[in-house]
Amino acid sequence: MEISKFFTIFISAVFIWNVILSRFLGLCSFIAISKETKPALAMSFAVMFVTTMSSIITWLIYRFLLIPFNLTYLRTIAFILVIATFVQFVEMVIRKIAPPFYRFFGIYLPLITVNCAVLGVAVLNSDMFFINGKALEGSFWYSTFQGVCVGLGYTLAMLLMSGIRERLELCDVPKAVKDFPLGFIIASLMSLSFLGFNGFRF
Amino acid sequence: MKNKLIVCASPHLHKDESVSRIMWMVVLSLVPCGIAGVFIFGLSALWVITLGVISALVTEAGLQILSKKKVSILDGSAFLTGLLLAYNLPPHVPFWIPVVGSFFAIAIGKQVFGGLGQNIFNPALAGRVFLMASWPKYLTTFTQPLNYDAVTQATPLALLKEGKLLGDFSYLKLFLGVRGGCIGEVCILALLLGALFLFIRGYISWHIPLTYIFTVGVLTYIFGGSQGLFSGDWLFHILSGGLILGAFFMATDYVTSPLTRKGQIIFGVGCGLLTAIIRLWGGYPEGASYAILMMNAAAALIDRFTKSRVYGTK
Amino acid sequence: MKKFLQEFLKGVFKENPTFVLVLGLCPTLAVSISLINGIGMGIAATFVLLGSNIIISMIRNFIPDRIRIPCYIVVIATFVTINEMVMKAYSPALNRALGIYVPLIVVNCIVLGRAEAYACKNSVVNSFFDGLGMGVGFTLALILISGIREFLGVGKLFGHTIVKGFEPVLVLSMPSGALLLIGLLLGFFNLINKNKP
Repeated sequence: MEISKFFTIFISAVFIWNVILSRFLGLCSFIAISKETKPALAMSFAVMFVTTMSSIITWLIYRFLLIPFNLTYLRTIAFILVIATFVQFVEMVIRKIAPPFYRFFGIYLPLITVNCAVLGVAVLNSDMFFINGKALEGSFWYSTFQGVCVGLGYTLAMLLMSGIRERLELCDVPKAVKDFPLGFIIASLMSLSFLGFNGFRF
Repeated sequence: MKNKLIVCASPHLHKDESVSRIMWMVVLSLVPCGIAGVFIFGLSALWVITLGVISALVTEAGLQILSKKKVSILDGSAFLTGLLLAYNLPPHVPFWIPVVGSFFAIAIGKQVFGGLGQNIFNPALAGRVFLMASWPKYLTTFTQPLNYDAVTQATPLALLKEGKLLGDFSYLKLFLGVRGGCIGEVCILALLLGALFLFIRGYISWHIPLTYIFTVGVLTYIFGGSQGLFSGDWLFHILSGGLILGAFFMATDYVTSPLTRKGQIIFGVGCGLLTAIIRLWGGYPEGASYAILMMNAAAALIDRFTKSRVYGTK
Repeated sequence: MKKFLQEFLKGVFKENPTFVLVLGLCPTLAVSISLINGIGMGIAATFVLLGSNIIISMIRNFIPDRIRIPCYIVVIATFVTINEMVMKAYSPALNRALGIYVPLIVVNCIVLGRAEAYACKNSVVNSFFDGLGMGVGFTLALILISGIREFLGVGKLFGHTIVKGFEPVLVLSMPSGALLLIGLLLGFFNLINKNKP
């Protein structure tokens, strides 16, 4: 397990291959919820929580269930079921034991089930950190960390976008590009500026 | 009667100066380094500048006519964008590079947001980064200074990035602009003259440029040396690349930078941090354009969190 | 018969999933770098959409309301897995090109969206045509986007150079260009729809 690999995963997931701006995962929620900062933060928090936990759970399932029993072709079904169940479970638990928390980000939880970012990072982990059905050394920690970083990358994009869109609310933009089109154009320019991190060597 | 109650973000100007006058003053302050660039690189540079400016003006006028708005190209902002874009290009690019770049800068970087005062990103830099991503080989071919035959030569920062020995670069040469680079970025002397003019007239304040340059200096001093920490050649870094041009003329753009003094300092530090990081560890030799654009994206957020308290509210 | 045609055409034009409903953009932008990939993804998604619409419509009266979303997901995931296996077997190159976006069809907003908004409330035949229309609309959108991106961004079509000496706009082959293109196309379609009442 090398420390530099963690650094690479961080830079990669947050900046160079930002989950939203480069991998296009989670775009629907990104454009829909990034209009104001508060909901954007709440959604980001929920996403980061789910990506981290689901990275852990899906890794365990892949490693100890799917591979030993030669069921890797069931990866998609298994992962999405696990994620959906987990999210449902978490929603129930949080609603019961921490209502204020639930009020903060609970309503976004069902939305996250179908957020491409969550399933995406699970699939990414199993592609990146397993070779020929064998887990790489330290792959559990790499996978979990990647889950966290993907959440961080999502948060960064959401925060920046919500700040920008809150400001644009006060201006009169051309009607044809209001909301969605302009959102994508802003994302495009943000993605262009993030190109500065290409070729990072540490 | 047109609605006189305008609710919008920056710039809110209460001086006698109009936006238009400020734009043209900034253009004026950029003339020295343009002349220097043409002198150092030849008439090709003049060609690039002319095309960049004309394309910007035509694009803005065209879009405004098409959308039945008032044509405002005389306010100087499109001229300024075209000029800055040209200054950010190598002197011998094909003619269509500044044309396409200015078109993108005005159309996507500015008009699609609703025009002057509403864009989020610096249009000239957006245009430059667009060109860089689309036709990298043209944007990274630089030529020898004072040799009008377009002999290719790498820029000082590019040589530094590749770890090659730096031929005969002296600080004086860097300062005067006797080096490869983009048209408007090489002659530090001319740039500083223009910046001084803007300072004296009060059009820019020290907060952004000085914090930006200072941060780059500190970081390159600590991390930029080849003999361990605290051995970096910070003066070389400050005088190279597009830092001076960016710090004084692009990061200070009213529309795309924070409004409050505190916010501006954060902005300057952020730009410096990102520029230094890209220069030292990123894949590109120069990171100023990307750094400023990234901080442009964050400017709205910075404004939100450094808002001064309105009297009477919590 | 006319009604079926209407259902079909609705998915292609008036309620085009990409340009009007703004759904399923993740794979649209990611795979539209070349026409082959775009068409491949369109066909794969249409297959899944048809399968899931039909099955969900068939069992719509038997699913308890509270667990309907997980049920839909199971059905969709089944078809996605079938699709994945078929692709791995018969077109491994395409499978590799589309990468993680093949399994991601299961969370494609279009598929789940149609299940939730249509298939659970309508007859099997109607759902079939709705799925077909949406799938075709999606594929057409993919063809438009990937055609532009491949031609202007890489300078080729289907892997062949069309215009010699054309300097491609490389940014279109990158994520940034894709986002820009979809933003401009959405704005463009907004503009022409504004002029039609």
